[in-house]
Amino acid sequence: MKNFWIVLKYELKEYFASKGFVAFTLILAIGGAILLSLPRFIDMSGFTGVGGKEEIEEVKTEAKEDWDKLYLYDEVGVTDIELLKQFFPETEWIIAENVDALKKAVEENEAEAGFVVKSADAYDYYVFNKEMYDHNSAMFDEAMKEFYRISYCSEKNWDYAEIAGMYEVPITVNEQILGKDTQSNYWYCYFLVIIVFMLIVLYGQMIAVSITSEKSNRAIEVLVTSTSPNSLLFGKVVAGAVGGLLQSGIILGSLLISYQFNRAQWGGILDMFLHIPSSVLVTFAFFGLGGYFFYAFLYGAVGALASKTEDISKSSSGLMAVIMAVYVFSLVQLTNIDGPIIKVLSYLPISSYSTMFARIAMGSVSTVEIVISFLILLASIIGAGILGAKLYRMGTLRYGNPIKLSSALKSIRQSE
Amino acid sequence: MKLEVKGIHKSFEEKEVLHGVSFEVESGKALGLLGRNGAGKTTTIRILMDVFHANKGEILLDGKPFDREKCSIGYLPEERGLYPKRTVTEQMIFLANLRGMNTADAKKNTEKWLKRLEVEEYAKRKLETLSKGNQQKVQLAATLVCDPDIVILDEPFSGLDPVNSQILKDVVNELIAEQKIVIFSSHQMSYVEEFCDNIAIINKGDVVLSGHLKEIKKDYGKNRLVLSAENYNLSALSEKITGEFAGMVSVMEKKKEFLVLELLGDTTKKQFMQALGGSDIDIEHFGRYEPSLNDIFVARVGNEDEPEEKEQNNRKYA
Repeated sequence: MKNFWIVLKYELKEYFASKGFVAFTLILAIGGAILLSLPRFIDMSGFTGVGGKEEIEEVKTEAKEDWDKLYLYDEVGVTDIELLKQFFPETEWIIAENVDALKKAVEENEAEAGFVVKSADAYDYYVFNKEMYDHNSAMFDEAMKEFYRISYCSEKNWDYAEIAGMYEVPITVNEQILGKDTQSNYWYCYFLVIIVFMLIVLYGQMIAVSITSEKSNRAIEVLVTSTSPNSLLFGKVVAGAVGGLLQSGIILGSLLISYQFNRAQWGGILDMFLHIPSSVLVTFAFFGLGGYFFYAFLYGAVGALASKTEDISKSSSGLMAVIMAVYVFSLVQLTNIDGPIIKVLSYLPISSYSTMFARIAMGSVSTVEIVISFLILLASIIGAGILGAKLYRMGTLRYGNPIKLSSALKSIRQSE
Repeated sequence: MKLEVKGIHKSFEEKEVLHGVSFEVESGKALGLLGRNGAGKTTTIRILMDVFHANKGEILLDGKPFDREKCSIGYLPEERGLYPKRTVTEQMIFLANLRGMNTADAKKNTEKWLKRLEVEEYAKRKLETLSKGNQQKVQLAATLVCDPDIVILDEPFSGLDPVNSQILKDVVNELIAEQKIVIFSSHQMSYVEEFCDNIAIINKGDVVLSGHLKEIKKDYGKNRLVLSAENYNLSALSEKITGEFAGMVSVMEKKKEFLVLELLGDTTKKQFMQALGGSDIDIEHFGRYEPSLNDIFVARVGNEDEPEEKEQNNRKYA
């Protein structure tokens, strides 16, 4: 145990002595904090919607010249320009003389688009390049339906305003969430799942490189004859994990504190990412960190199988595939938080770090389930550590091509 | 202290590479582990260091199973390597700490050994910035930093220039004088002859010769004589001896300046001298043959021995 602390201290010193590590941490932490403090010093009301209201009005007035231009040719006379302006705010409507003039205006980019109304329930839509999010046609559909309803009511001598009022009756909702608010917790979970994924991939690779480099620089024989492989592997992996956590903790902490301090200036628009309830953070601490340590040990084992740092990507491809699959499944299943797939995934150590954490934050889960899942994760971390140490010991002095996991396990069984 | 290696067997996959290696060494003595490339020296050392586990056999220290945790060992592996991006002092203290030494003593010993090996000026430099020779000296300093009772050096002289070799020779002699157990493997027979009281020659996983070097040399030179003449060159002398003294001696080897002869049957040195006196040979040099370790080594492992012959040669001199 004493040697574990010696290795841990020695390895951590390497992280903290690295100028790149320190500079990266400080730049992101300070840069992020400054960025989140910007609304305090400069006007960002256009983005945040807070402050500078008078200027917003001016901007709107000035921007009138830049409004979109839409052409209209109504063959049957069913449309109402004033009503269209309500459907298309900040849009200038131009009445075309004929269809050709309308098409020419669209082709020459004088208008964003054009509509040729053929009858009370049919029209042609002209646009030059249709954009991904072009809503003009859908909006015009609604306007045409309105024209139709007004015309219909008029023919029947019905009061359209009264009927419309009946359909648009305002309902007062006083929402009382007694359980969990999936909508607001969704983005925290999404954000934190991505954070753990990034931690695992980035720092896992660093841990694997740190272990493989001892084989590549031939220091491993001196090390394994100076202390136990367990002390070495656990010390190195925990150092890598702690280094990564400290770095990301400092960066994330700086962002959260800075946002908390400047939240009013942001008008709370980043709450969905950065105003994380402490209960969610505590859950994340247990499951997120558990998953991180689990994969850190597996990366340590991967590092032990390779002899050269350039072979790590080859050795870790299987592990990477698992991590990617879990990541995709977790994010997809966030919308079906109480479904059977996410329930199963929340017990597996490869995926509980994100799925059980998400279930706790957004779904229905009993304390017993949480405890069982966490115990499985804990046992798996220890198992991964022991397996990693055995692979590390077995991989000592086995230079050359990366060792296949199956052959490594066979060697371990034989030696035992 | 007495370290005994008894009947060590080791297999990799299906192939057995050590077939019962045995030797012993005591405090204040050095054992030279000799053998051709691939003979099994490094595997034996790695078993001693618990890098590999033996399939059979035992290692005893003072008659009890060798517990590496309770004993301070300095090991210089054949595959040299430390942390290239860390400073010399930093990694020496780290290794000393791992081997149970406190930081204050580790610092003191780091300074001592760097100074002794004449590399103290590089104490704060990163290892990768040092020359190969200096890196090797740092590696040796890291081996000795924990004041080990047992020092195991695998090919310690490889890569060292004559000046650095002399420093290392002095250090090894000091270790022997300090009553340490020293085991080292080398291809350079002159160094082994210089330090080692005992040798063990390993060939293809077997110890083909082991024991006190002086005894081995004496025994190996038994019934062997050297002869040169003023009036015959070595080829002519060889022909004459083979023709005229065929029943008394045989020519074993023609060295650069003399012939090595072996007395046959019951012929004594005195009888052969008398016979020589009656011949026309004008003796230039005549005496007992003292083989070099190199001669013994080449004789033992230089050729592919047949199993029966090998068995016959497995004589112990201890």
